[in-house]
Amino acid sequence: MEKEGFSQEKFCGNCDNHNTYNYPDQVFCTLRLLQNKNPIVETLWHCAEWIPSTQGCYCVQEAKKNKTKK
Amino acid sequence: MVERKDILQEPVKHIKINGELTVDQLIRQFSNSGSFGAGRLSAACNIYERMLRDEECTVFLALAGAVVPAGMRSLIADLIRERLIDVVVSTGANIVHDAIEAVGGHHYKGHWKVDDYLLYKYHIYRIYDIFVPEEDFIKMDHKLVKIYDSIAAENEGKSLSSKDFTWELGKRLNDPESILRVAYETKTPIFLPAVRDSEFGYAYLLHASRKNVNKLLKVDAFKDVLEITEICKRSPKIGMIVIGGGVPRNTVQSAALASKKGLDYAVVITMDRAETGGLSGSTLAETVSWGKVKEKADKIMVIGDAMIIFPLIVASVIERLGEKFERTPYIQRENLLGT
Repeated sequence: MEKEGFSQEKFCGNCDNHNTYNYPDQVFCTLRLLQNKNPIVETLWHCAEWIPSTQGCYCVQEAKKNKTKK
Repeated sequence: MVERKDILQEPVKHIKINGELTVDQLIRQFSNSGSFGAGRLSAACNIYERMLRDEECTVFLALAGAVVPAGMRSLIADLIRERLIDVVVSTGANIVHDAIEAVGGHHYKGHWKVDDYLLYKYHIYRIYDIFVPEEDFIKMDHKLVKIYDSIAAENEGKSLSSKDFTWELGKRLNDPESILRVAYETKTPIFLPAVRDSEFGYAYLLHASRKNVNKLLKVDAFKDVLEITEICKRSPKIGMIVIGGGVPRNTVQSAALASKKGLDYAVVITMDRAETGGLSGSTLAETVSWGKVKEKADKIMVIGDAMIIFPLIVASVIERLGEKFERTPYIQRENLLGT
C-alpha cells in the first residue's frame, strides 16, 4: 500500500539514502559519499542505485513546487 | 551533646524586593531565607565563588543534557575564555551542537506540543521545544568527514585522547564564539568520555566507510583516563560543577577517586531523583560513600532546571568577583597539560 504523501517516482528525494541538504532542492546522498562522489545532488534527480523509499517526507513535492515557481 | 539552643541558631529572614535588584542582590535575599531551592541556589553561588578564589583548585564543568542547543553555548565559551572553568567533561552531543553552529547551522525556538510526524516529513529534529533542521546536522557531518581526514593525515595513525581530538576540531573551526574554538585557543581541556555516542560517531562511520580510505582517525577513550586522572592528581584541590549528571559527572568523580583525593568542592544541578539508583540523581552524601567527594567537601545539590539555575549562579558570582578579578587556573600556572 502506498504511504501517505509518498511518491513512487524515482527521485533522490524519496530514496532510502537521502538526507536533506538545502531543503527542498538538494539532498545529501550517503551512497555517493561512500563511493567518493559528490554527495550533494538535486532532489529531483536520481541515480542508477535508486532504492525505494521508506521515508514519507515532503522533499519531492516541495522541490517540484519550487521548480514550477522558477 | 547538642543542646536545643544550638539547633535554633538563625531565624529565616524574609525575602525583600524593594525596587530594582541585581542578580546577586536577589541571590543574597535567597540566602537570607536560606530555604528550599532558594537556599540551595545561594549556597551553590557561595561554593562556586570559593572554588574560583581558591588558587589551588582546578574547576571541572560536567555537562549533560541538551544545554548547548538550548542556549548555553556562549555562556560556556565565555566561562572558558575568562578562565572561570578549567576543564570541561561533556556528552558528545553538547559539543556536536556547538560544532553545528560553528559551521553555520542554527537551533530554533520551537514547541513541545507539535506534530512530530510533520517535523519528520519536513526533516526537522526536535529536542523538547527546540528545533534543529536535519540539513544542519548533515552539513556538519560533511564538514567533519573532511576534518577527520585532515586530523588523520596530520597525526599519521597516532591515537588521540578525546581532549586532543576536541583541540584538533577547535583548531579547524573559525567561529570565535565556539566552545571548541575557545577551548583550543585557551588550551582548556574538553573531555568527551562517550564521544562515539553522538553525531561525532556517525561522522566517523562516514569517514571510515568510504571506498579506499587509508588514513583513519583514531581516538582512544582509555587515554582520557590517564590524562584526567593526572590533572586531578597534580591539582592540590578539585571542584566540580555538574549540569545534569550521567557519564560526565561520573568521569570527574572517578578521576577524583582514582587520584586518591576526592573532590573538595561540588555543585550538582539536577532534576533527577536518587531512588532509581542512577548517577544523575544520586546525592552527594551517597558520593561520599564511594570516596569520590570528601566528607568535609563544600558541596550542594540544587534541584532545578539548569537552564535557569546555572546562568543565575554565573551572573551572581561574576558580580561578586568584580571586573578586576583575574584568575590563572592552577593547571595553566603549573603547565599540567604540558602544552
